[in-house]
Amino acid sequence: MKMRKLLASTVLATSLALGAVTTASAWSLEEAAKPYAGTTVDVVFLLRPGYEAIEAMLPEFEAATGIKINIIKHPYENALGEQVRDFVAGGDLDIALIDLVWIGNFAENEWIEPMDKFTSNPDLADPDLDMDDFFPLVLNAFGGWNDVVYGLPFDNYSGLLFYNKCLLEEAGFDGPPATWEELKDTYGPALTKDGKYAYALQSKRNETQSADSFARVIWPFGGSFLDADFKSNLMSAESQAGLKFRQDLMQYMPDGIVAYDHAETVNAFSQGDVAMITEWSAFYSTVVSPDTSKVADCVAIAPEPSGPAGRKPALGGFSLAVASQADEDEQAAAYLFIQWATSKANAGEYLERGGVPARQSAYTDPALAETYKFIPALVESWQDGVPEFRPRFAEWPEITEIVQEWGTKIMLGEVTTEEGAQELGSRMEAVLDEAGYYSGEKPLAQ
Amino acid sequence: MRGKVSRKTIFGFLGPSVIALALIGIAPLLYALWTSLHFFNLTKLKKVKFVGFENYTSVLTDEVFWQAMGRTFFLLGVSLPLQLGLGLGIALILHKPGLTLLKTLARLSLVLPMATTYAVVGLLGQVMFNQKFGVINQFLSPFGGGNINWIGDSTNAFAMIVFWDVWQWTPFVALVLLAGLTTVPGEIEEAARLETKRWWTVLRYVQLPFLMPGLVAVLILRTADTLKLFDMVFTLTRGGPGSSTEFISLMIQRVGFRGFDQGLASAQAIILLIITIILAQIYIRVFYREV
Repeated sequence: MKMRKLLASTVLATSLALGAVTTASAWSLEEAAKPYAGTTVDVVFLLRPGYEAIEAMLPEFEAATGIKINIIKHPYENALGEQVRDFVAGGDLDIALIDLVWIGNFAENEWIEPMDKFTSNPDLADPDLDMDDFFPLVLNAFGGWNDVVYGLPFDNYSGLLFYNKCLLEEAGFDGPPATWEELKDTYGPALTKDGKYAYALQSKRNETQSADSFARVIWPFGGSFLDADFKSNLMSAESQAGLKFRQDLMQYMPDGIVAYDHAETVNAFSQGDVAMITEWSAFYSTVVSPDTSKVADCVAIAPEPSGPAGRKPALGGFSLAVASQADEDEQAAAYLFIQWATSKANAGEYLERGGVPARQSAYTDPALAETYKFIPALVESWQDGVPEFRPRFAEWPEITEIVQEWGTKIMLGEVTTEEGAQELGSRMEAVLDEAGYYSGEKPLAQ
Repeated sequence: MRGKVSRKTIFGFLGPSVIALALIGIAPLLYALWTSLHFFNLTKLKKVKFVGFENYTSVLTDEVFWQAMGRTFFLLGVSLPLQLGLGLGIALILHKPGLTLLKTLARLSLVLPMATTYAVVGLLGQVMFNQKFGVINQFLSPFGGGNINWIGDSTNAFAMIVFWDVWQWTPFVALVLLAGLTTVPGEIEEAARLETKRWWTVLRYVQLPFLMPGLVAVLILRTADTLKLFDMVFTLTRGGPGSSTEFISLMIQRVGFRGFDQGLASAQAIILLIITIILAQIYIRVFYREV
């Protein structure tokens, strides 16, 4: 009896395994896309290297599937507004491009479909999809909301310390600063001279002020935007320490740093006027190309410095999700494109063409670190990030405007860090109160 | 019956323009009015509800709104006199007899700043006023002003906006005033010049009355333009640094399209519209005189 049971189990297991193998080997992008050939998928792209990379690879996808990808390009600052208006009006977009701080907004408004709807469909899901291969922090932060995955990480960034090793060596340093305090107290005075500055922190009054400047200084010092009850935490000793640190650090930054966006900051570094910047990994190609950088040979990269609370580097990036307003065929075609663009198989080429994939497997080859100097720092940063580096709830678009205004006023010295944080905190709480977080209408998710 | 136009003809000619005006101007205005009476956030459409005048109360008691309004009128108060002074000077020079070809060329070149798109002016400003590479600082460096932080300093950023506004709209003022000067009957002006050699007396007592209709038009148009000044500032400073160049239209755009609170933004826009209408009425009643 035992023998017959064992035999039966073995036969069953074998047939299941064979079945799985057959299904896996049978799946192909061409076959999966056949019913959707001729479908046009509309998607918003930004004017950034990661998007140009996938655009260059697109002919291969379109030839294999017959699906046409219609790209609508917008600068970052317009991308949210354009998409919100399209979704509210029931427009044409079939894919949502989601900055990590927009995910709560898009998910709560049901503008995007949970990924599970497609990954559970064997006709559409690539057996090699391997969701576990995405960096967990990145998948969770960029594509997840309330434990549901909506988007797959597509254009992925981490804040990194770009430093001019030639300038540092001249000043007697054999490596970058390990901590923010060291950057300010040791490297700052030594590198700020002869019209050159030790450091530049992009702080323009737009998302740059919120994400790159304000959030960057509060987290490593143990601060945060909100406490556990969703009240402002900006008056805490830790948040204040971070904000005061930024004020002190400004003496080692160029004048008018509140007008510096990414372009000005990367340019100042590339011209050799600034010894260190903390910028997104996406700017790697700009600072190491002799066409755009005078200091290409001197560029070295490290993870962002640590603060008393740890490294907590800036985290940013975009996922792609299927739009709910698309019809069934468009949704399927959109999913196939997203799956292809973020796949393990294409991660290598995407990297070569200037993109930054979120696939762990893409970074396993040690030789890659020689070619792309940012890889070790990037991989390290993605181990220790904070998903709510900027709260990802639906109210962020309103709150970021407040942060931008008062963050800049603090930097300009128009208000003290306490006055600014107090005002910012009350306005932030008013927005959250109106949204229903304090009445229990909404869960405290960020 | 001769000379009487049929109703059909009247409606035939007027109808299309009235319909177009209703569709383009009146319908959006009515929709804005409806929106302003509701909680209407684009990202919270499930929560749309009638709130009466709550949005208006919020706007009227919001100090940030009034600060932006004050900033806008300060800009108007600084740039408009400059435009009027310079514009009048240019108009008087171009009104003088002689040098016909040069004056024609000057008139043509006056159109160029006005024809430049606002957003392009802002982008030009970003490059020209760049602290390190900008041509303005290069130009000022022999005079010791080569390192002025234009965009990152609150006062300088405001001055930069005044500069561009004056650059772009002084020619408009000049052309309107020049048109006004050409309406002064030649014999009156000639007689006045025989009576006195003082240009100021001629301007004050002979030319100015003919300039008044044009001046009122300039006042109304430039006030309305300043109140809705957006593109140039948005591309140049985005309202910053801090709030130093956040004028009223930038604030409304921020609330409506970056914060997505269309209800509040509509209330702000309606209040702005009311202020503009009141100002236009004041200008007409106080300054406008038929010659």
